[in-house]
Amino acid sequence: MKPFPIATALSAIGLFAAHWLAFDFVPMERTMGAVQRIFYFHVPSAWLCYLGFLMCFVGSVGYLWTRRSRWDLFALASAEVGLIFGFIVLITGPLWARPAWGAWWRWEPRLVSMALMVLIFCAYWVLRSYGGSGEGVKRFAAILGVFGAPNIVFVHLAVRKWRGTHPDQVVSRSNSDMRIALYSVLAILLVVFVLLVVQRYRIHKNAFRVRALRRRLSRMGAM
Amino acid sequence: MNAPGFFSVVGVVLAKDLRTELRSKQTLMTMAMFGLVLTFVFAFGFVADPATNKKVLPGALWASLLFTGTLGVGRTFAREAELGAFAALVLSPADRAAVLLGKMLGNLAMSIVVMVLVVPLLALMLRVDITATAAIIALQLLLGALGFAVVGTPLAVMAVNARFAEVLLPIVVFPLVTPVLIAGVKGTGIALGTTIGEDAWGWVQFIAAFDVAFGVGGLFLFERMVTE
Repeated sequence: MKPFPIATALSAIGLFAAHWLAFDFVPMERTMGAVQRIFYFHVPSAWLCYLGFLMCFVGSVGYLWTRRSRWDLFALASAEVGLIFGFIVLITGPLWARPAWGAWWRWEPRLVSMALMVLIFCAYWVLRSYGGSGEGVKRFAAILGVFGAPNIVFVHLAVRKWRGTHPDQVVSRSNSDMRIALYSVLAILLVVFVLLVVQRYRIHKNAFRVRALRRRLSRMGAM
Repeated sequence: MNAPGFFSVVGVVLAKDLRTELRSKQTLMTMAMFGLVLTFVFAFGFVADPATNKKVLPGALWASLLFTGTLGVGRTFAREAELGAFAALVLSPADRAAVLLGKMLGNLAMSIVVMVLVVPLLALMLRVDITATAAIIALQLLLGALGFAVVGTPLAVMAVNARFAEVLLPIVVFPLVTPVLIAGVKGTGIALGTTIGEDAWGWVQFIAAFDVAFGVGGLFLFERMVTE
């Protein structure tokens, strides 16, 4: 049995289970009501988004030091998947904020640093998609990956010099059902996350190989 | 042969760039002209009553710094790239970090000259009296320009390798200098008395910390960046 179809099937079933957990299993939150349920997706997505960009940072450092393309592919795949989860965070967040705060958006440290992080990795993605695929572009992207992570810290500190209204705790630690749901959804999304990163990595690796083969063929005069 | 000392390389690179720039004035003139055009854009876009003008000024100043800075940073290695001198620069026994530092300071010098023109002009057009707070605003902009140079210069070096480099560079650099932009606009606003907040010095220190962190980081990474 190959691991890939199993993981795919697991994550498909898992995503259904995640919806059941968030919408049926957990009790209704007393003050926020039904809208609080979005946090079972919002919070794990935010963590996975950070994880993706942290992996991109690690991959970028690895590439700068070793110049092995597997580090570069790892950084690229992580950034892409991190970006997807970042978009989930930026969509689910305002959906909650509108009824809870009465506004879609607030200038608040965690919101701004998340938005900026997504912006930086959008730039990373644009660079990788349209900047060409040469070795120099990979180094360029790696620098961006390395500079991006500490930058988020600065953005966070800058906005914190104003003041914050982001809820720290939206899942009660005393309610075990809520905790179970949150960490279960996190585990499910983590499987999806890993699956997507592996898949993107493989796709990029194959594209890399195809390009190399094509170059070889054209050098041989066959194309 | 002994490798030249770190700071003598910095000085040589900086002096060479400033000398060629003073002869051709290519980059400086385009930056200054763009700055001039921007002041008109901001003036026509935002001029209103005096209170509003005062609130708009910090944003306009810092946006001008970023926009004109992009032009300068984009040209950092243009001359070297055109004449194939970049390889020679990298191959020379000089410390590469010193070359980068020289380039960063060159970009900083260019931004300073442009801001000396743009800041009074913007203040005049928006009719905001900044003479009382000129010192602190100058310090903020100086540190901000340094922050832009330390982030923008190494990325400009790498952008030479990419397609659409001139378009990609601002897309990549602007998000990275956002902390400077936030701190600068807030700090200048506080200095002008339009933003409520703690003293402007906290923001000056913030920008200084950013400059040190990314300056040291960039110089440290540059060796790894340019090695083929």
